[in-house]
Amino acid sequence: MSTDQPWTYRYRPKSKAEIVGNGEALDQLEKWLRSWEKGPPKKRAAFIHGPPGIGKTCAVQALAKEHNFDLMEVNASDSRSKTQIEEYIGKASGHTVNIFGQRRMILLDEMEGVSGQKDRGGIAAISDLLKITVNPIVMVATTIGENMQDKFRPLLDKAVLVEFQPVPFSDVYETLEIIAKEQGVTVHPEALETLAMKSGGDLRSAINDLETVARGRTRVEPEDVSWMKDRDRQDTTPNLINKIFSASSLREARHTISQSMIPYEDLFDWVYENLPLIIDDPDERLEALEVLAKADVYQNRARSADYRLLKYMFNLMTGGVAFAKKRSQGLGLMKQVQQAILRVGVPLSSFQTSEAKEGITVNPTRWLGRDKWGDLNSHMRGIGGKWVYGQNVWVVPYLREPQAKWRYIMTYHDRRKTKAVAEKLAQRTHTSTQEAVTETLPLLRIIYRASQESADVIDGWLELEDKEREFLSS
Amino acid sequence: MWAEKYRPKTLDEIVNQKEIVSRLKSFVQEKNLPHLLLVGPAGVGKTTSVLALARDLYGPGYRNFVLELNASDERGIDVIRDKVKNFARTAAIASSVSFKILIMDEADSLTSAAQHALRRTMEIYTRTCRFCLLGNYSENIIDPIQSRCSIFRYSPLDESDAKGWIKYIAKNEDVEVLDEGLEALYQASGGDLRKATNLLQAAAATKSAIDDITVYEVLGKVSPERVRAMIQTALDGGFMESRDILRELLIDQGLAPDDIIRMTYSELMRHTGISEEWKVKLSDTVGEVDFRLTQGARPEIQLSTLLAHLALAGEKIR
Repeated sequence: MSTDQPWTYRYRPKSKAEIVGNGEALDQLEKWLRSWEKGPPKKRAAFIHGPPGIGKTCAVQALAKEHNFDLMEVNASDSRSKTQIEEYIGKASGHTVNIFGQRRMILLDEMEGVSGQKDRGGIAAISDLLKITVNPIVMVATTIGENMQDKFRPLLDKAVLVEFQPVPFSDVYETLEIIAKEQGVTVHPEALETLAMKSGGDLRSAINDLETVARGRTRVEPEDVSWMKDRDRQDTTPNLINKIFSASSLREARHTISQSMIPYEDLFDWVYENLPLIIDDPDERLEALEVLAKADVYQNRARSADYRLLKYMFNLMTGGVAFAKKRSQGLGLMKQVQQAILRVGVPLSSFQTSEAKEGITVNPTRWLGRDKWGDLNSHMRGIGGKWVYGQNVWVVPYLREPQAKWRYIMTYHDRRKTKAVAEKLAQRTHTSTQEAVTETLPLLRIIYRASQESADVIDGWLELEDKEREFLSS
Repeated sequence: MWAEKYRPKTLDEIVNQKEIVSRLKSFVQEKNLPHLLLVGPAGVGKTTSVLALARDLYGPGYRNFVLELNASDERGIDVIRDKVKNFARTAAIASSVSFKILIMDEADSLTSAAQHALRRTMEIYTRTCRFCLLGNYSENIIDPIQSRCSIFRYSPLDESDAKGWIKYIAKNEDVEVLDEGLEALYQASGGDLRKATNLLQAAAATKSAIDDITVYEVLGKVSPERVRAMIQTALDGGFMESRDILRELLIDQGLAPDDIIRMTYSELMRHTGISEEWKVKLSDTVGEVDFRLTQGARPEIQLSTLLAHLALAGEKIR
C-alpha cells in the first residue's frame, strides 16, 4: 500500500469490527441484512442517516463485503431522475445475482443531494422500487441542521431507519492516537485533545486535520495545532468577513466568495452569525438581515431550479449586507460582554475590559469565587469567549464562528431523547408528538424531578430506559 | 399524569357537553355509528368522548377495535394509504359490533391531498370501519368530508366549569390551591382542561400551596411561553438575546419550525401591547416567513428577520 494515500483513505475501516462507535446501529443493520437470507423481508430497504464523517458509507461497504454482496453504488454525481432510477437501479434490483453468482446490494449514497427539480420524480421512483426490489437497498443521507423529514417521508415508512451518531470524544481521541503512533509521530496529548474537540464527533475531519499537522513530522506540539486552527478559522475567514462588512464596492464584496477557503454556505453562516455584532443599528440590522434572508431564498431556488441562480445569492450576501451598514458602530460585542457580566450579578467595576487586537479582553480585578467564575465562564463561552490560562483573562473575539452547527452537535443526544420520551408520552396522553414536546414534556420534567416517588410512577408509566431517566432528571 | 388519571372513562362520567354526549350514547345503544367530525378548542373533551364511546361500545377490550392516529405526526398521503387502509379493510371480529373505529386526531392539519385520499377510503370501507375525525376548526376540512360526517361542535368550557374541574382534582390529590393560583390556572389554560391539569400537577410538584407565582413559574417552562419570551425580548430591543432563545427552541429542544411559526403567530396576535395596525403588518411578515419555509428556506435565518422587525418596531408598535 502506498504511503501517499490520504490517511482518511488509508485508515478507512475495512470490516465491521474496525468501525469506531455506533455499535447498536451496526447491529441493527446487520440484523436486517441477515433477514434477507430467507428471501425479501417486509422492509426491503434501510435508511441510514446522521452527521458527516462518522462511517455511514463505510459501514455499508464493510457489511457488504463481510456478507459477500456485490455492492452497486449510486451517489450524487449520478443523476437520479425518475427515468434514470428506473433504468439503472430498477434493472439491477430485479436480478438477485450478478454474472458471478454473487448476491447484489444497492447503495444509494448522498441521498440529501437528490434534488427536487433536476432529479424530478426521483424520490417517488425510489419509493416504488422499495416495494418490489429483490435485492437489499441501503440509502444513506447526511442530515445535519436541516429538517429533511418531509422530503424523505415516502421512503421512511418502507425502510428500516438506522441512525448514526457522532463518534464520542474519547473514541476520536484514541483513534487519532493509534494513527499517530502507526505513522511514527508523537503528538502531544493537548494537541490530540484540541483535534478531537474540534471535530465535534466527525472522525473523518479529525483524521484529515491530524494529517494536515502531522504528515512529514515526528512531533506535534500544542502550538502546531493552534497555528492550524488560526489559519483555518480565526485568520482567513474572519478577514474575509471583515472585508465583506467594510466593502465599498460590490466588486470588492463579491470577490470574497472566490477568495474563501471555506464553502460559500459556510461563509454565509459566518456572515449571519456576526451580522448583528457589526451592524447594531436596528434599522440597518433589519435591512441587512432581510437581504441575507433573501440570499437564503436564492440559495434554495438555485438548489431546486438551477445553479446559475447562485450569483444573485452571492451579490446579496456580500454587497447587499455591506451596503446596509451605514451608521452602525459595531458596539454589539461590547454590549454583549457587559450584559453577560450583569447577568451573573457582578458589578461592571469588578472588571477591566479593553479592546485588544484579537478581541475584547475581560480581566477580573478581584476574586469572583468559584461559582460566579463558572457561571460567567459559561456566559462568555456563549458569546464566543475563552478563558486564557496564565493571563487569566477572557478573550472574546470580535468575530465568532457560526454557532448553530456546533450547537446542533452538542445537543444531538438530548434532542434524540426528547423525541423518544415525547413519542411515548404522546401515545399515552392521546396527543401529537409535537404537543408532547412543546407542552407536556417541560411539565413532566418538573414533576419527575420533584420527588423519587413521582419519578418512579412516571418511570413505570412510560417504561423509561436508563438514558431517558437520566435525561429527565438532569 | 393526572390528566390521564382523571380522564373520564365512560360517557356517563362526562359532565359537560351534555347534548353531544347524549347523542353519542344513543349511538352506543343502537350499536351503530355514522362517521363523526368533532370540532372545538383543545382540552374540552373531544378525544375523551370518542375514547369513552369506544369503551362503552366494545367493552374493556376496546383497544383491539380502535386505531388512533395523529395527523400532525403523520400528515402525509402515504399514511392514509397504508395505515388507514390496512386497518379499515378488515372487519371487526369477536365483537357484537360489525365495524371498527379509526380516530384521526388533528385531522384539520392534513393536507388537502391527504384529505381527498381519506375521503375515498371512508367511502370504500364504510361497512367495516367508522371514521372519527377530530380538529380545532371545521373550515380546514374539505367539504366532501364534512358532508360525509355527523358534525359535533364542542363549546369552550365556561369559567365555573373549568375552575370546578381544577378544584375537584386538587381536592382528590390533597393539594392546596389559593384563589390567585386558581385564577392563574384558569387564565393560563384558557379553558383547556388538559393544560390546566398538567399545570396544576407541575405546580403541585414544586409548592405545597399553589399561588399565582407558582403557576407562572411553571408556565414559563412550556414552549409557547419561551416563544412569548423570545418575542418580548425582541420587542424590548434585545435582538441577540431573542436570537439565542430562537436557537434554544430550534436546536436544543428540536421544535419543528412550523410549530415555532404557529406559536409565534398566535402570541403576536393576542399580544395586548401590539396595536391592531401592527398586527396586520406583522401578519404579512410572519406569513412571508411561513411561505418561505414551505419552499425550503432555512428556518433560523428567516425567523431572525422577524425578530429584527420586532426589535426595530419596539416602542412604535403600541
